Amino acid sequence: MDWSHLFVMFVTFVLINNVILNQFLGMCPFMGVSKKSSSALGMGLAVTFVIVAASLVTYGLYYVVLVPLKLEYMDLITFILVIAALVQLVEMIIKKSSPSLYKALGVYLPLITTNCVVLNVTLNNIINEFTFSEMLVYSTAIPLGFTLVIYIFSTIRERLEACETLPSWKGNPIALIVAGIMALAFSGLLGLV
Amino acid sequence: MVMAVIYLALLGGIYAFVFYLNHKTPLPKGCENLKSQCEGCHDLSCCNNPSHDR
Repeated sequence: MDWSHLFVMFVTFVLINNVILNQFLGMCPFMGVSKKSSSALGMGLAVTFVIVAASLVTYGLYYVVLVPLKLEYMDLITFILVIAALVQLVEMIIKKSSPSLYKALGVYLPLITTNCVVLNVTLNNIINEFTFSEMLVYSTAIPLGFTLVIYIFSTIRERLEACETLPSWKGNPIALIVAGIMALAFSGLLGLV
Repeated sequence: MVMAVIYLALLGGIYAFVFYLNHKTPLPKGCENLKSQCEGCHDLSCCNNPSHDR
């Protein structure tokens, strides 16, 4: 196993090819659940859990069931159903284990089902023909990058609430400008690896 | 073809079962009337748009 290749891959997908700031995926929760840092962190962790679990299940299903049965063309519908089922499962676990997190995330949890990041990761695992270890690193790095960016963004938005801004810039306009500046800052990491 | 239909039915059944279990799980105290306040994209077709709660 080439550890340096896996490490480079991890850093690349967390910081450089960041799913939000570089690929512009998952913008819906990025804008919708980033007003409070606690909600943003909870959302990030829930997305991380769903992506890792969805990747493991879909990767296994694809190579153990779909390929031997020659049903590869059913990958998209399989992955969508697996993700939807996992989100229901996560919602159920959060309801039972952490009422405060459910209160913060409750209405946004179904957003994970339609979060294109989850489907993107599961499909890319197959399209790029990742080995198991590469799949594991990719499926961990992408949601960690998502969590990192959404958390940083939420802390900035919290501070922005206390600041004076032009009335027409309040809310989403200033948030989008901040997101653009963050994307510029992250693009400075291009030469890192 | 038959295999594909059986496979799809199985997956759909698993989803329906998990959905039923989640639906049956009682909501935590204070979360009975959660309202969405998402003002992310103002997409009216999204179920989290606050206009649906009015």
